[in-house]
Amino acid sequence: MIFPFTSIVDQEEMKTALILNVIDPSIGGLLIMGEKGTAKSTAVRALAELLPELESVKDCVFNCDPVGDLCTECKEQLPDHGHLHREKRKMRVVELPLGVTEDRLVGTLDIEHAIRRGEKRFEPGILADANRNFLYVDEVNLLEDHIVDLLLDSAAMGVNIVEREGISFVHPARFILVGTMNPEEGDLRPQLLDRFGLCVGVTGVRDRELRVEILRRKAAFDNDPDAFLASWAEEQQKLAQKIIGARLKVGSIRVDDVLEKIVSITALLNLDGHRADIVMMKTARALAAFRGLIEIGQDEIKDASWLALRHRLKRLPFEEAGADREKVTAALAQL
Amino acid sequence: MSCSAFIGHDDAKLALLLNAIDSRCGGVLFVGEKGCGKSTLARSLPSILPAGTPFIELPLNVTEDALLGTIAIEDTLKTGKRVFQKGIFARAHGGVLFIDDVNLLSTEIVSLVLEVQSRGENIVEREGLAIRHPASFILVASMYPREGELSPHLLDRFGLCAGFERLENSEQRISVMRFALGDGSPITDKKLYEQTEQARSLLRHVSIRDRLLEYIADICLMYHVSGHRADLYLLAAARAQAALHGSREVTREDIDSVAPLVLMHRRRELQPPPPLQEQDEEREQPDQQHEPPRDTKQEQKPPDQDKDQKELPPKPRELPPQKEEIFAVGKTFKIKRLVFRKDRIERSATGRRTRTRTKNRGGRYVKSVLRASRDIAIDATLRAAAPFQRVRNRQDVVMIDDEDFRYKRKERKMGHVAIFVVDGSGSMGAQKRMIAAKGAIQSILMDCYQKRDMVSMIVFRKDKAEVVLQPTASVEHAARRLCEIPVGGKTPLGAGLLEAYRLIERVGRKRSETRFLMVLITDGRANQSMSSMAPDEEITRIAGLLRERARIDVIVVDTEEKGRFTTTDRATSVAALLNADYYTVDDLKSEYLHDLVQKKKL
Repeated sequence: MIFPFTSIVDQEEMKTALILNVIDPSIGGLLIMGEKGTAKSTAVRALAELLPELESVKDCVFNCDPVGDLCTECKEQLPDHGHLHREKRKMRVVELPLGVTEDRLVGTLDIEHAIRRGEKRFEPGILADANRNFLYVDEVNLLEDHIVDLLLDSAAMGVNIVEREGISFVHPARFILVGTMNPEEGDLRPQLLDRFGLCVGVTGVRDRELRVEILRRKAAFDNDPDAFLASWAEEQQKLAQKIIGARLKVGSIRVDDVLEKIVSITALLNLDGHRADIVMMKTARALAAFRGLIEIGQDEIKDASWLALRHRLKRLPFEEAGADREKVTAALAQL
Repeated sequence: MSCSAFIGHDDAKLALLLNAIDSRCGGVLFVGEKGCGKSTLARSLPSILPAGTPFIELPLNVTEDALLGTIAIEDTLKTGKRVFQKGIFARAHGGVLFIDDVNLLSTEIVSLVLEVQSRGENIVEREGLAIRHPASFILVASMYPREGELSPHLLDRFGLCAGFERLENSEQRISVMRFALGDGSPITDKKLYEQTEQARSLLRHVSIRDRLLEYIADICLMYHVSGHRADLYLLAAARAQAALHGSREVTREDIDSVAPLVLMHRRRELQPPPPLQEQDEEREQPDQQHEPPRDTKQEQKPPDQDKDQKELPPKPRELPPQKEEIFAVGKTFKIKRLVFRKDRIERSATGRRTRTRTKNRGGRYVKSVLRASRDIAIDATLRAAAPFQRVRNRQDVVMIDDEDFRYKRKERKMGHVAIFVVDGSGSMGAQKRMIAAKGAIQSILMDCYQKRDMVSMIVFRKDKAEVVLQPTASVEHAARRLCEIPVGGKTPLGAGLLEAYRLIERVGRKRSETRFLMVLITDGRANQSMSSMAPDEEITRIAGLLRERARIDVIVVDTEEKGRFTTTDRATSVAALLNADYYTVDDLKSEYLHDLVQKKKL
């Protein structure tokens, strides 16, 4: 049984960052860095219950979006039927377990089918499962290099192209990458770091009252999990509805007025490329939608900048880590 | 042997009992010397568990597929369907998993075990299989810290931890000896068994008052634990303890009696190396006993805390002769990711720096290849054979021809043997270059700890070079040597390189596949040779020797201050001679991830 998302004490930044990715999946995922034992994995796994339903092509194992990119199979179907049947599916959190092998990640030849029928057929892997879902990698800094390469490849293109064992197959693989890591155990490849739309740092709660509250909830959960889940059901329902509402609204929030502000912040911070600008814009927009606003305010820009920029800041020699937040604050103050 | 017959070590026994009552106590780690009965006690655990409870020992040579489960060759060939062969996790389900010397296992394997233990489920995504099955077990592990450390991150995931020391009480020692002769004590431990059985059924009725939850939080705050696992495990252990003596409510005494088990391995001071190792090394080296007491506080501090105090000079080993100076260790920082080429040698290796092919069964199955080796890649072989089964008229079993065979290529990470070759000449004292240099070395040492490299250190100054530290796994030890390096005299750079070459040859003779990482820290201003040759010529020759030798990567850290009138850039030419990657101290600093998580200072 999984601890409910809403019953996780404190850690608001992490929870909000996860929710923003549900509201707008194109934000591009989240890296959660933090010390051990701070509910990182618990939060990601608990998110599953709050996820909305998506419209997908009926029976498609690749979870194709009927109005988006299609897999080889759906493409073949389309001219035959002229249209694709649809069905509703709940968005999921797909896990990439440690020890995964390449064939299971990208998919491979379906052995059983080949033996029985003598035909080659593609057997989908985890990237197929992850299409339009969350892909969760615990201890992402411990992931094998050759697996990271494959992940980066399909993350960059949004498709998984398989050419192996005489099989040719293409399917969309647009996943929301969520990673957790403890930086004490080693760092992350820069290319992979840049792939994460947002980044949060979590530390243990030092407030005594909150710590006691964590224990109280844990004791209640252990004593009677069913009763505990029931007592949080309403909160869960409320939050799930709020997320659905924000998803519907996010597209209609105006961004034109804040584009200039965003660009001036990233320019002040001397960031390369446009990814930072785009992620920040989308994050501010999703924040406004989540907060039930009709337009992006100063607070949304401020909060979005820290979420979207902290792992992209370049540090000059001799600079302390603490200087980061000040830099962002200073850039914001100049607006 | 039964559990209650075990003499002494009451807290270790208690830790086992608590886990037997509630597996949410998160397993137990026994820490202590060899021959104190760690494994004997662990193996006595089935005597208090229901008959037939599995007790599985994890061998150190375990592979990932043996642990997680793999594709069953025979059944798969017979049926043409993929059949899952259970691994150790499946066999340990509902029972006990015991790991002796857990610190000697690879980090990947330990992570896997702890991950599966804490979630109670095994997820397999490999070799064409996608399977989930429940896997809840009591994890019991033992370690002897002198043999190697376990990172704080992994330590934290063990619920409880108990120390093992030799019994001092002579009465107890005598009973142990008597016991070793055999006294025929019963195999099942009826009394304890019944007690734990009762405790298990009582457990869900055990409640705890709010006031005591506050007490738990206070204890954990007082000990500055990081994260929340300590609180949660302390709660679980206290409840199990209450149930153990038949009470329906947790008392303060329950919490007090189990708190040491929860906190022992979580105190911040433990990071990074546990103090046990420290003591042992002191004991090993009687020749150092006359040293003035070291400022151990400074040495043991976790890397993020020593920023405040680095200007404190370390205590010198002896009264230094004139013109010699010992500089403090300057600022430390997170270094760039050092990347080295993967070679094609197959070795049996451990560590976390560079990937290597492995020659024994360890390591991760990376891909299947045609070149024959010991491990047949059954999934790839089947895939190669599958499309031809109709043509080959398959009857009962899958028909595999010679050309279908595929083999596993396995890889894992290894540590290097890092050799720090440090310039201790007088020029390093100018503008206090040595302070920044020592900071840089300390920073690389921290990286070596993470990557599990062996480290050694050579200092060259005046007229010779000296190995001040033979290759060791103890980075802590190296850090201590670093503090003691004096500065003064000429620069016999050639001698330093030659000494490094000799050390490499020595180690290489014993283990030919060793990868070396030579870190040369100098301003490159060589002015002293060992022979009649000019210093530069000497360096060119020795650099040639080093270049020819395989499996050495070299980085040069230039300590010269740049942009001054006196800048010579001589270290760059030394780097070129050595085919080395060249860095200034600033270049070494990581641009990324630099402590993104700001720890709260305590």
